[in-house]
Amino acid sequence: MPLSFLRRRNVMLALVLVAALLPLGANPYHLFVANLIFIYILLSVGLNLLLGYAGQLAFANAAMFGIGAYGTGLLQVHFGWPFLIAFPAGALIATAVGLTLALPALRLSGLYLALSTLAFAQFTQWVFLHWEGVTFGAGGFKTPQVSFAPLPVDHRHGLYYLSLVIMVAMVWFAGNIVTSRIGRAFITVRDSEVAAESLGVDLLRYKALAFGLSAFYAGIAGGLYSQMLNFVSPEGYDLFQMVLQKAMVVVGGLGSIAGSVLGAGTIVLVLEGLREFKGAQEVVFGAMLLVFIIFMRGGIVSVIRRHVPGWEEPLHRAGALPPAEPPTSLPLAPPAQERGVS
Amino acid sequence: MTMLSYLLLSGITTGALYALVALGLVVVNKATGVINFAQGELFMVAGFIAWSIHVQFGFDFALALAGAVLVGFVLGCAIDRIAFRPLLRADVVAIVLATVGISFMLKGIGRIIWGGKGDYLSFPPITSTDPIMLGEIVLVPQQIAVLAGAIAIMLAFGAFFRFTRIGKMMQATADNAKAATLVGIRIERIYTLAFGTGAAVAAAAAVLAAPLTLLYPDMGFSFFIKGFAAAVVGGLTSLPGAVVGGLAIGIVEALAGGYIHSSMMEVSAFIAIMLVLLIRPTGLLSFYKARRV
Amino acid sequence: MSRMTRLTCAATLLAALGAGIGAAAAQGQPGVSADAIKIGTFGALTGPGYLYGKLAMNGIDVVFDEVNKAGGVNGRKLQLIREDDRCDPATAITAVQKLIHQEQVFALIGGGCSNATFAARETIEQAKIPFVVVASVHDGITQPPAANIFSMALTSSIESQAQLAFALQEGAKKIAVISMRDSWGRARYLPLMEAFKAKGITPVADEEMSPDANDATAQVLRLKATGADAVIMVLFPKPAAIFARDAQKLGFKPILIGQTGIGDPAAFEDQVGVPGATAKFTTISMVKYTPTDPAVDKWRTLIEAKFPGDRLSNFNLFGIGAAQALVEALKRAGPDITREKVIDALAGLKDLVIDVYPGPISCSQTDHRCNKFPAWISKEPGGPIKVLSITRVE
Repeated sequence: MPLSFLRRRNVMLALVLVAALLPLGANPYHLFVANLIFIYILLSVGLNLLLGYAGQLAFANAAMFGIGAYGTGLLQVHFGWPFLIAFPAGALIATAVGLTLALPALRLSGLYLALSTLAFAQFTQWVFLHWEGVTFGAGGFKTPQVSFAPLPVDHRHGLYYLSLVIMVAMVWFAGNIVTSRIGRAFITVRDSEVAAESLGVDLLRYKALAFGLSAFYAGIAGGLYSQMLNFVSPEGYDLFQMVLQKAMVVVGGLGSIAGSVLGAGTIVLVLEGLREFKGAQEVVFGAMLLVFIIFMRGGIVSVIRRHVPGWEEPLHRAGALPPAEPPTSLPLAPPAQERGVS
Repeated sequence: MTMLSYLLLSGITTGALYALVALGLVVVNKATGVINFAQGELFMVAGFIAWSIHVQFGFDFALALAGAVLVGFVLGCAIDRIAFRPLLRADVVAIVLATVGISFMLKGIGRIIWGGKGDYLSFPPITSTDPIMLGEIVLVPQQIAVLAGAIAIMLAFGAFFRFTRIGKMMQATADNAKAATLVGIRIERIYTLAFGTGAAVAAAAAVLAAPLTLLYPDMGFSFFIKGFAAAVVGGLTSLPGAVVGGLAIGIVEALAGGYIHSSMMEVSAFIAIMLVLLIRPTGLLSFYKARRV
Repeated sequence: MSRMTRLTCAATLLAALGAGIGAAAAQGQPGVSADAIKIGTFGALTGPGYLYGKLAMNGIDVVFDEVNKAGGVNGRKLQLIREDDRCDPATAITAVQKLIHQEQVFALIGGGCSNATFAARETIEQAKIPFVVVASVHDGITQPPAANIFSMALTSSIESQAQLAFALQEGAKKIAVISMRDSWGRARYLPLMEAFKAKGITPVADEEMSPDANDATAQVLRLKATGADAVIMVLFPKPAAIFARDAQKLGFKPILIGQTGIGDPAAFEDQVGVPGATAKFTTISMVKYTPTDPAVDKWRTLIEAKFPGDRLSNFNLFGIGAAQALVEALKRAGPDITREKVIDALAGLKDLVIDVYPGPISCSQTDHRCNKFPAWISKEPGGPIKVLSITRVE
């Protein structure tokens, strides 16, 4: 196979290497965009666990991202906590909120779940805007810069490498989750809740796990984002943010961790590239979204799978089973008319 | 007491706006089982087109209404062909996102064409501007026109689904697409028709509502989300449900704004929706269907 | 869809991405060549904030065209590079970094949304690049002053003080506030509350409206119950129009006080659409003229020729004013132009008369809020627009 050196593992390793060396030859703009990509990779991988693997049509990920950012920033500002403690704490707050969202999700599905999570996201925005005493309302607030001393790096580079390390670790972790029992349970929940229950999958536990995990990823991303901007305000966590994250997951490939990595990178770069279409970005972005969805059904990763070997993502750990039969078609979804109101 | 009646009335007139958007969503959802996330932007574009015909070029109001409805219908059919038909077998997220893509395109086009003509374009009302006295209570005639329009559209489509052949076919497709295909219904046409009519409803709604809401490129989203909420509260496939849902949301907002505080107005609808769905997971006005396995 | 077509699509997309990259090399001063100066602008080209972004940029564009037609600034043509910030803080920082580091522009002009501009302040300050604020009103952008940032917008505290002063001057005893609490509204609301406190007055009511509100019955009833005789509106034209309509409908007739967001009383009268509802409406404008005034015919012709289908708006005028101030500073910096010289020239602007602004522009080393003259305008229903007064606010 001539293309076999382009296996998933090799490509991913090469991307990490490029990312690690990028600061050597990049201007601050490039570095900022690259850092943004790491954060969006966290977001889209987390969202894919919920949307692509567990099949929950939820719209609250941008809100979780916001809760992570607000949590991290506010713990620093109000209680003087250092970033390195406020950051995980903020992510845990997001996780806790995510877990509670799983409760309504037990009874709701499809468009009803979509609306109730959409309503929740709007509610979160309202809280950011109106809980003045805590969130500083619409004006937002500045967060203190973390110092990386005694390491010999400035804030920009320190945060860049911190984001990179966290991102790589969490993508690796997500890869392990989906090849475990948990990942397989998610997929059963997605494909049929009734079947999942009859196989002994505890719906509450696995839905909660999916919501909690994705909220944790979003919370971590939010903490890093707050530190990257040193400013938190409600604008960044609205429905446009939600659309971006959904676009990353779908464009990359539902139910594929590698896809989410590529999807996040692609969408962030597309948005930067679209800067050339002054004033027509909305039109071109919408059109591009359509083109990706219609012509690359199954996402970038399914196109790659068709041409390059070594991109399958079996649901079992490598070696446990013989390699999965090539081109698996994704996503496994019933035709439109059967997924309407349940 | 007067406060309560004023608030109820204002809730009903605002709710009628939401109901108009919800009706279009329900017409599409009835046949296809999806929600068109570009419905709010169709509303916006149709409103602007009517504005251009009527205000900018000075043609008759009737012509503006007809033009907007026609453009709406064509756009709806196009959405079916571009963003729904190729994705019949794709995941529902992909369809949602495809319609989101369309909504961005429409918003951008609206901004390019009409965005430089003023911040909020005003549309002259079809009714007289003199307020009507209803006992002690005062009403703007256009608000009554909107309410009447919502009810008329609801009745017309109710009759359409019940009595016409095409309406019955749409209903059959919605109930079971496979069976509909088996009895010879060409379901693709039904889908196109559903998207087209749904958009035409949005267009008619926009022309009715424009004097009250003013026209601006970003108006679509807030109407979409309230309309979506109204449709869901009404059970997603029920036309009367959409109207009742719209009015209910309007009334909740007005009462929360009047009796709690105006800062609660916007959020009260969302809190109410979360609570309603917790208690009735498929909306207030719907019957449970057997869960498909 | 064949495999080839799909690959072509993918290749096209990648090519489009590559197009975004391409830096310009500059000698000496970034963005300055023998015959051109690159100026960067950022603001919302998309999303609801576009009024303060895209439309203001259109205004800057026609000013630069005029300058270039007349031979440029000391022989150098001005070249404007636009970047979108969607009113989003992160996107604004990215846009500013791209302009500074990738496009290597010489100076910045722009800024529409308060939070986005405020978030980008640090990046701009560190780059020591001259920056002229067009429309963002957030006090934090200019206070405490950054050496290189100058605002031609009436900042929010200036406007809020003026609103309250006007209500008092009209003899209002019970003053109420109705506001939007998004970042635009809040940037004005807080200084307004401080202005109240400074005068030792408490507003009799403090209500909210969302930018997309379609009904204000609840707000009107609550305000009416307090017997307010003046209402300070911190609202965009749409909610303000809905409020004025419902107030008229419910027989509530206080003095209505607007701000620069509702700077065109003629358009506002149409937006309200109910006869007589705007009879007691007065508003502030950051610019001296309304878009229909014959005095701005020159700018109207230029805008409507360059952007067919557009109509001259106040938002265009914001850009037109700020761009003229920047051009003046660029001229004063002389042929051997440097960023430091331009910053000094901006700080030295004194009593500079710019046609669209109500009063002269004066900056100093310590005060970078250069526009302090709000104009009060009103319109009798059916009658002409009148400029009531031009006041100076400290």
